[in-house]
Order: sequence, then structure tokens, then C-alpha cells
Amino acid sequence: MPKRKDIKKILIIGSGPIIIGQACEFDYSGAQACKALRAEGYKVVLVNSNPATIMTDPELANRTYIEPLTKEYLEEIIAKEKPDALLPTVGGQTALNLAVELSESGVLEKYKVEMIGASLRAIKVAEDRLWFKDACRKIGLEVPASALVNNAQDALRLCDQLGFPLVIRPSFTLGGTGGSIAYNKEEFGEAIAHALDMSPVHEALVEESVLGWKEYELEVMRDFRDNFVVICTIENFDPMGVHTGDSITVAPAQTLTDKEYQRMRDAAAAIIREVGVETGGSNVQFAVNPENGRMVVIEMNPRVSRSSALASKATGFPIAKIAARLAVGMTLDEIPNDITKKTPACFEPTIDYVVVKIPKWQFEKFPGADSTLGTQMKSVGEVMAIGRTFKEALQKGVRSLEPSTPWRAPTETPDSLLREKLATPRPDRIHWLLTAMERGLPAQEICDLTKIDPWFIHQIEELTAMNRRAASVTVETASKELLREVKRNGTSDEQLAQIWRTTPASVRLQRARYGVAPVFKRVDTCAAEFESFTPYLYSTYEDEDESNPGTRPKIMILGSGPNRIGQGIEFDYCCCHAAFALREDGFETIMVNCNPETVSTDYDTSDRLYFEPLTLEDVLAIVEREKPQGVIVQFGGQTPLNLALELKRNGVPIVGTAPESIDLAEDRRRFGRLLEELKIPQPRNATALVPEEAARVAGEIGLPVLVRPSYVLGGRAMVIAYDVNTVQEYVAQAALMGPARPVLIDQFLEEATEVDVDALADGTDVIIGGIMEHIEEAGVHSGDSSCVLPPVSLSPAVLDTIREYTKRLALALKVVGLMNVQYAIQRDTVFVLEVNPRASRTVPFVSKATGVPLAKVAARLMGGKKLSSMSLPVVLHNGVAEVAVHEFYCVKSPVFPFNKFRGVDTILGPEMRSTGEVMGISTSYGQAFAKAQLAAGQRLPRKGTVFLSVNDRDKRHLASLGKELSALGFRLLATRGTAAALEAAGIEAEAVFKVNEGRPNIVDLVKTGKIDLVINTPLGRESFYDEKSIRRAAIRYNIPCITTLAAAHAAARGIHALLEQGTEVAALQDLHRGRAAASTVPGAGD
Amino acid sequence: MASNWRSAETAQLYLNRHKIPVIWDIDTRALVRHLRNVGALRGIVATDGTPAEQLIFEAKQLPSMTGQELASRVTCGKGYGWEKGSVEVATSPWTEQMGESDAHSEARKHRVVAYDFGIKQNILRLLVDHQCEVQVVPAQTSAEDVLEMKPDGVFLSNGPGDPEPIGYAVENIRNLIGHVPVFGICLGHQLCGLALGGKTFKLKFGHHGSNHPVKNLLTEQVEITAQNHGFCVDPESLPSSKVEITHVNLNDLTNEGMRHKSLPLFSVQYHPEASPGPHDSHYLFTQFTDLMKEFAQPGSSRR
Repeated sequence: MPKRKDIKKILIIGSGPIIIGQACEFDYSGAQACKALRAEGYKVVLVNSNPATIMTDPELANRTYIEPLTKEYLEEIIAKEKPDALLPTVGGQTALNLAVELSESGVLEKYKVEMIGASLRAIKVAEDRLWFKDACRKIGLEVPASALVNNAQDALRLCDQLGFPLVIRPSFTLGGTGGSIAYNKEEFGEAIAHALDMSPVHEALVEESVLGWKEYELEVMRDFRDNFVVICTIENFDPMGVHTGDSITVAPAQTLTDKEYQRMRDAAAAIIREVGVETGGSNVQFAVNPENGRMVVIEMNPRVSRSSALASKATGFPIAKIAARLAVGMTLDEIPNDITKKTPACFEPTIDYVVVKIPKWQFEKFPGADSTLGTQMKSVGEVMAIGRTFKEALQKGVRSLEPSTPWRAPTETPDSLLREKLATPRPDRIHWLLTAMERGLPAQEICDLTKIDPWFIHQIEELTAMNRRAASVTVETASKELLREVKRNGTSDEQLAQIWRTTPASVRLQRARYGVAPVFKRVDTCAAEFESFTPYLYSTYEDEDESNPGTRPKIMILGSGPNRIGQGIEFDYCCCHAAFALREDGFETIMVNCNPETVSTDYDTSDRLYFEPLTLEDVLAIVEREKPQGVIVQFGGQTPLNLALELKRNGVPIVGTAPESIDLAEDRRRFGRLLEELKIPQPRNATALVPEEAARVAGEIGLPVLVRPSYVLGGRAMVIAYDVNTVQEYVAQAALMGPARPVLIDQFLEEATEVDVDALADGTDVIIGGIMEHIEEAGVHSGDSSCVLPPVSLSPAVLDTIREYTKRLALALKVVGLMNVQYAIQRDTVFVLEVNPRASRTVPFVSKATGVPLAKVAARLMGGKKLSSMSLPVVLHNGVAEVAVHEFYCVKSPVFPFNKFRGVDTILGPEMRSTGEVMGISTSYGQAFAKAQLAAGQRLPRKGTVFLSVNDRDKRHLASLGKELSALGFRLLATRGTAAALEAAGIEAEAVFKVNEGRPNIVDLVKTGKIDLVINTPLGRESFYDEKSIRRAAIRYNIPCITTLAAAHAAARGIHALLEQGTEVAALQDLHRGRAAASTVPGAGD
Repeated sequence: MASNWRSAETAQLYLNRHKIPVIWDIDTRALVRHLRNVGALRGIVATDGTPAEQLIFEAKQLPSMTGQELASRVTCGKGYGWEKGSVEVATSPWTEQMGESDAHSEARKHRVVAYDFGIKQNILRLLVDHQCEVQVVPAQTSAEDVLEMKPDGVFLSNGPGDPEPIGYAVENIRNLIGHVPVFGICLGHQLCGLALGGKTFKLKFGHHGSNHPVKNLLTEQVEITAQNHGFCVDPESLPSSKVEITHVNLNDLTNEGMRHKSLPLFSVQYHPEASPGPHDSHYLFTQFTDLMKEFAQPGSSRR
């Protein structure tokens, strides 16, 4: 069927900020949909609040709106753009929910917008658990017994009927938010209350447990002609009970016979038809009882998903791209397969390799959070590895995850504890499996404890047996056959070096001597049956190499690996931009990465894609094969940077800023000396290896001090210490953690304003890309702080100093490419806190705010171009060039995963904990802030009651805030001390009880909906628990909670703006009019 | 390592028991890429250490598939009746719910004679599932003998190799066409092609595997099919006045199915009974029983 002609303009809704359960896979799918629809000649209007996405690049859509994803803003955009259709299926649950809201509230009808890709009915049947179950039963499929409840009494009655354990799933939440498993009545009571809270419709499903069953997912597609194909089967290594996002998963399914698989395939086809998903991709989940093969349907998603992104990367079949085309009426048989070009997309990919996905968790960031894995997703990212066997893929996956911690058996645990470690799924269970095998626990017992399929356990057993054999020889005496065998099974040089008590380099040397080297195979959708035209490659140890490297000048870009807090989509964005820019400049671009969620691992993004772990061994193998002219390490965050020096030592041509400069900037002592030479102030600082030394230097510096380990990203394990004991404890702890790396101790600048600067440099010239003023004061990690561009409260003199220092630093460090500097301004003195001569988290935000694509420009500089040859829109400030700022304000706000971790305090500090970011744009600062808050899920009230509780330091500055809030018409409630401070300033405020003072106290008021905004700045340790319960209650009842006075001021201005200005939207293409040229730099062709 | 509730023994033991050699641990992609470029080759599996040159020499002596009559080597010695339906693996009443017919229903049974050119058991099972009473006959059975059995329909099975040398089968099919509904699969399809006056040719490396997209030109829907054939009917060679092309392979646009415009005959190149393989094309068995029902009507235009 040809594509529809009656539709001209299509609205695509993105998925908003990166959160747990909804990450950059939706940037990948959304960007693909944009590209596909524009290629078919449609006009695309895109809305997403997340500036760190490729999809919000102004080139990608015809009209791009970085606006809050709420009904009000969407209606405004629809009214302005008048699209013919809305495609809601590529923006995750967020887009789907919003589409339902727009449809049900009549907005779509009012503006005659047709929903394509999924009908309202199909969404509702798939999303409403009861309707879905009815639909399944109607076509003869089994589902777990269950019932929906909307109150605790009904829920308790159900317990008796269904028996324990029970699964509790709130309706309409994503990533299983609020879901859990209860083993007894007590747990059940708590679980059901939480689930009802989390559900936007106050409803939850209580379900028969299928814990321990085998879990499968089918990624399927259907078109208007009712053609149906299965793109990929995915089997969960961790059985039912662990959210699929938190499971190790394997593609294709490994332990199904054809009979069982075909039954599942038929069921998936029947479901997608019954639910009524007419076109597009869906994901259907099944559970199979290992005892008798009984198959039940778990759920379906009538949209592209995390799993469909994984399936796309695992097979080379671009589900979102095809889904977009199907939505406009095309059929699978008329769309060509990108990879083979000659065969159609209407087929089922053949996989002649095994793909393993492993989630990445970061519980260390959330002390107090329960690390048990259950029905609610808790991982922040994932890696994917490709090998010719499960063993090879699994081992590659484990080393992709965190190159610094190889797969190793933890020891020194009593057997009883070991059994608990196996029975309870936690992030480290894969390591405990090794311990169990080393201790000789029978495979059957391991299977019984873990419920992991015996086949998987057997595979790991074979690996451990092989490693034991390897341990009986040495690196010198290992035969070629043995070496080849272990390499074929995916064991890394580093693991072998551990086994043989030698260095990875000597293992590499031995391999070279024997000629045991990897070859590269292609992901081609067809198991080599047809020729493939896209070099999408993975390494393995076999005979024939299919990489066929090109001869054009080429540049290789190292990606950032799994998403982590502090190293997320922003870095992938930069890597993609490097690929785009260098391709435009005529280079062949080569991407290396192992994160399946990203745009960088789309085979379209660069000329050649290596889906490989980012370890020295794997990268060197690719470099040897490709022999690139240059390798870029500064765009992928800390992961590639950690490899830079070693790569250079091995003769790899690193382009851009020299690894030595990067190292210098990370080395406190040497960097301190450089700052002295440059006459740039920095906070007093020192390093210490042992607690005694730490106590001494902390005393010399003067408390409070900031204590942190060297080489960090995202402020891992950073604390502000107000006393010497804390410092000593910290250093003692750090020493336990690993090899002797010094702990850094810095003077902490209280009440300072922090500033982030991104700059471009080519060794001769420096251009300031953007100056961002943090809204929270110094002490809150820069990634967790809201910031505004341009700055709103810095004096021209301070700004000039910042520019001058930035230029000096860039030249001194011989930066070629990007540099990020963090400053703290305390009483008009500018201190340098940190310099990172690499792409930073803020690059996409600055690029969206100014219209100048910093990462692209930086990549060109690394490719040999000069700033002087590019006509960037700059202005000179006292001789320093800066990208000209617009007449509007851009605010970036972080988004936190606190609702996923019950019991974790929400207070901000030097440890970064946000997973994503949003951007608010407006002609007024207040409105931009309010929009950013709204986009981040904090709906600032326009009227009502504000609760204030601030610390003594803040009490001094409380008057102006109190006046602003009163003037806006808010009723003020406050704790006694805060109320007294307000009244002393002549502002009316009612005192309320703290938690320990009596009842009703503030938490009661929050719970009963009497409070519309909470302003609570931390008082310190003594009132810690009291405050924590207030903040937790605010999160739970979805009341905006502000924890710094600066943000409270910004909020007051925001509320003011909301009342004055109403809902305003603007497209990037209008905001940056006249700057479009900057994205394709003039002179690029010379 | 076996891990399935239905498992009775490991695959290795099973294959040993049936003396089936297993090739493993080779670079399969290298092999496929080679065959893709040079076309299907003759081969030898050896484990006794014979030098490669010797084996290559021996392989080259092997006769080519083209021109060999292989059906008579694999067909049954004498006819037999078949009564088993599909193996039930589901505990749920799966096949009925999915629109498959109930093997045990009291519905009218169709008498089907199935020619065995190397027939797959799952074809027989599916025929039984579709209310057929199946009598299997050897490849060389004459049309007269078959018609004497008064079947409601005749099924032409799959089988190995080149259809052209199987002249007797072509002759028999010619004598059956028009007298009884005919359904052919794979080699059976090719034999129908020859019987209708068409030609067959050898594909470079054939169609193998369970993911071939085939478009049904009558419904414009695509089926994912299992295939295993090295020869193919040339649609241009068929008399267009008599024969309608019904199915085409979307990968290489070769012929995958046809039907007679006026007489009760249809056939497909792929394996609708696929096991292993998808079930998308099971409807063809219903189409066969419908054709038999229609033909049985006294006033049928197909008669």
C-alpha cells in the first residue's frame, strides 16, 4: 500500500528526560521515526523536553519544540502547528499517556489530529491490565490469575483467594514503577499502598505469582495488510520475578524448541490482532512454566520499547524506522531492508550469533535503597555484547559493563550466605554464581536456588571448568589451542592475566606470537545469506574476517558505554555529533560502543559501527584492523578517557587535546601548580592517602571541606565534611575500596555561586561556548543543579574574569576540541573548581540554547580545522570571543529517580544522583525556570499553601522570599524557627509541628493534601530524619519540594511568570533563526 | 545438556542413535559466504583424517544433483495408512482456539491419497488434523491405481533434488489433473509445473531456512515460510491461459505457488507444514479440504 497522501504534517512526542525505565532508547527510536518520515516527504513537528537528545537537534525535524510534556503545552503546540496526525508510539510510556490524555480531553478532535500508529482503543486494551487479560482469554490464551483493586480492603480479601507470593503492579506506570512482590500479609499491605499511590489512576493489579518461570519477549511488527513478523526473540536469563529491564537477557531465545517457539509466535500474532495494533512494533511478554510448558501471557506494549531498541541493535532491523513508515500506510513488503538493500523488510531476521544484554545498576549512589531486584526496574543503563556463542557474548558483556571490575568470584562468604546470595536476585548475582561453582555447589542446587534455566548454569559451569584448565598452565606454557579456546569463549586478556598472574600486555604478546587474533563478523539480518551493505561489526575468534576496511581517511570515535548517573545520553549526543560532522567533512567515521539504547549504535550514525566493549584489548584490536588516522576519546565521558594514555602508549593516534593534558587536569598537584602559574585562584586543597594526614590537611585548609576520590565522574562518593572525624572516616573507607589513589580534600566555598563554562579551542584560538549560572549554590553537584544561560546575577566584571580564565586555561592545556570549567564565585572572587578538557554533560544544552552545535565544531577542530576558518556567531568581550547569546533564557533542570528508591533521602549534595535533564526556554527567567520545573515533573502551584523550613544560615535571607510568596497570594506555613524568622521580617506565617513535636505535624499536612509547595533547606544531622520524612512525603504525594533557597527564589519568580504569561511555546527553528548556518560550518568543504 | 520438560534424551544421544553426523565448531559464516558467491557445491563429511586434497577429489566425483532421480530412492516400499495428528505440546487447547481444525471432530472425512516422493510426517499430521483419511502411496504408483482408490483429493509430496528426471510422476500427475483435486508441496509443486507444460531450473544456492517472505498474490498478504529447495519452476514457461501464479518469493521474486485457472489444482514451492518453521501457511490445508468439498458438490464448476 502506498503511503498516505492525506497527511502532510505529523507530530511526534518524545519521551522527556532520562529516567529509570525510560532512557535514551527513545531518543534512538524517535530520531529514527523523524528521519524516516521526513525521508517519505512528511513535515515533522517534534516535542520533547530533553535537550540532550539527537531528536531535538533542529536539523532532525521541521519544527522542534523543547517544551514541557504536558497537555497544556501540547495543546498550545497543536494549535500553533496544526498537524494532521500524531504518532504517539515512539516516545515511550510518556508519549503514549500524553496521547491518551490529548485524545480523551478532546484536543485531538478539536484540532482534527488523527492518531496514527496506534488507536486509542488499542492503547487502552494493551495498557489496561484487565482489558488486556480479557482480550487474551477471548483468543484462548492463558494469563496469570489476577484482579484489579483500587483500595486496600479489596486487596486484602484477594490475598486469601490467590495465595502468596503475589505480584502487585500499579496501572499506567512505566518501568514497573511502584510494583513489587509480597510474600506475606504485612509486606502486602505496604506494597499495595505504595502501588496505589504510584498509579496515576489509583489502581493496581494483584496477580498470581509466576515467579521462577522462564520469561520471554517477542518483538513483533504488523502492517495495514495484516502482515506480521517477529523481529527478535529475547530470553531472560533471570527468570520471572525480576523486571526484564533488570534481567540479563539473551537473543535469540536459547532454551525453546521450535514447537514451543511457534506456539508463542502464533500467540503474539493473535494478541497484536486482538488488541488492535494495526501498524507498528509491539512487544509481547510470556512466561513459561519450566515444569510443564504451560505458557501464560504477561503483557504487551503497543509501541516501540527498550526491548525493541535492543532487538533492533541485536538484529540490525530498525524497528522504529519501519514502524514510522507503517504508520503512514506503507506495508512491510514495500520497504527495503536497509542492510541487504535487495530484500524487503517483510521477513524475520536470522541471527547467527548470540546477543547478551546486561543491566547496569548504581545502588552505591542511593545509600539505604534496597538492591533486591523485583518487578520495578532499578537499573540506570545497559550494555549489549555480541559473540558467536552464549559464553562469548556473556563474557564480553560482563567486561563491557565496567571495564575496571572483571567477572570474578567474591570469596570469604559462609555457605549459608552464599545460598542467600543465589536465591535473592541482586546486581552481583552473576558473580556469586562463580563462587558457587568454585565451591562445587551442584548445578542442580544452583538451579533450584536461582531458578535460572539449567542450560545457562551449565554454560557458566563450562566456562569455570575451562578457566580451571587454563589455570594449570602459565602464559608461557599455554598452547595455541588452549589460548584460542579461551579467547573463543570470550575470556579477556585481563582475566587471563589474572589467572596467570601476569599482565594483559604479556597475554597479548603471547597471542600475537601464536597469531590468535579476533576477526570481525557482520550483523546482517540474514546469517550471510545475502550481501550486506552496512558495516555493523563485532569481534569473535573464527577464521574469516568480514570487516573489509575502507581506504578513505578515517576517524574513530570511542563511545561512552552503558548509561550511568553522570555519564549518560549527553556524551552519546557528542559522539553522534562528532560522527555527523566528520562525515560531512569527508572522513570515514568509525564508532565503537556497547550501549544498545543509543543513537551512536545505530548503524546509520557513522560509516562503520563496531559493537564492542570499550576496553583496551577490544579497542586495540579494532585499531589494528582499521588503522584510523585519528581516534577521538574526549566525547565519550570518562570511559574512553580512562583508556587514552594506554592507547597512546600502544601507538594509537589520539586526536584533539593530548591525553597528557587530560591527565594533567585530573592530577590535583600538577594542576594546582599550573593554576598558580596562570594566577587563577582555586579553593585551598590538598591530597591525603591516610586518615592522619587527611585530618592534618583538613585542619590547615579550614572546615568545611569537600572530600572525594581522584578520577571521578558524576561526583562518585563525594562528601562535604563539617568536622575532622568525617574526613578521617572517609579516607579510611576509601583506602579499603581499592588501590592507593589519593583522596582529594578541598576548601568548601559556602554560599558561593557555581558557574559552568563550555569552551572550544584549537590550540590558537578560544571561543566561549556558553556560561551557565547554577541556581543551587555551590555544594550541590553541577549535574544535579539547575542552571540558567545566560547568567542572571553575575556582574559584567565577574563574567569577564570567567572568560579570561577560561581562555588562559584552554591555551595552557593546549586544548583542541572542547573544555569544561567549573567555577565558584564567592563575594566576587572567581575560583576554579575543576577543569575537564573534554566534552561535558552541558554541551547539548548549550548547543540547544545558542544554536551553535559545539560538539560538531569540536570534532572538526580535532579533524584539523581551525576556529578562524569557521564563521561562528561570536561577540568579543574584552578580547575574548564568546558565542552570542539570544534574547531569551534557557534553564536546565535535573530529574531524579527518587520515586524508584523508597527510603532514600532526596536532599541534593556533592554526589550526583540525577538521571536526566530537561530544558525550559522563555523570554523571562522566571518562566524558563517554571517550564523546566514542570518538565521535570515539579508542577509549581499558582496558588495555595507553601510550607517553609529553612536552616539558620538561610533564615537570614528568608525575608525577600517570604515577601515574594506572600505577594503572590500564598498562605505561608513554617516550622517554629522559620515562622519566627518570617514574622520578625513582618511576614505573616503560621507555625506547624515538626514530626517529633506533636500532631497534626507537617507530614500529616502533606499527606492530607494541605500543602502545595515545600521549601525545605537541610538543617544538618540532628534534624535529618525529620526532614527526610517531609521530603519523602512530598515525593510520594507528588508535591514540589525545593531544597535550596536559591531555587526557591527562582520558583517564586517562576510562579509569578506563570501567572503573568500563561502558556507560551516556541520552536527552536524560530529561536535560532539565522543561526542554522552554524550547524553546517561554512568552509567545511575546503 | 537438555533443559526442557519434554526432553527424553539429549540431542547428542538422539543423533547418535540415528547415526546422524554432526558438524560443529566451524566458521559457518565463512561457509555460507563462500556458497553465496560460488553457488551450491557437492561436499563430503570426513572424520578419518583423509587428506583434504583427496576429499576434494572425491567430492568432485560425486554426481551433480541435476539430472538425478532421487525420489524413487526415498519413497516408501509399499503404501500405508496414516492416522496420527499433530503432536500436542500445549496444555492449553491451543490448536482449536487458533482456528485449527479439531482432529477428533465428527466432521466428514476426506479421503486423501498422498504420493510419497520423500514425504514429511508433519504434512501427514496436518492432513489428519484437517479431517483427512490419509493413504500414502509409493512414488511410482500409477494414476489409474490412485483413481481406483476413489480419493476425494490427491496430495503430491515434497522430495529431494531435480524434478525433471521423475518422468513417471509427471505423467501420472497429467493423468490426475481434472479428475481429482490436487495439492502439491515443494517437489510436488515442481512436478505439477512440469505436468502443466512448464520448465524448472536450478537456483544458484537454493532456498533454505525458516524465514522466507512469500507474498500471496491473491490476498496481497505476506507469509513467513520455511523452505528447502534447490530447483524452481520458471513461471514464464507455464501456459498463462491455464495457470495462475499465486505466490512469489519476496527475496528473489522466484515462483512460490500456482493454481490452475479452471481445474482443481494448486501447489506451493515452500513448506506450509514447516516443523520447524512458522505456521503462517497452514491455511493451505484448509484450502485443500475446501477444494475437495467444492469438487464433491454435484454441480461444481471445477468438475
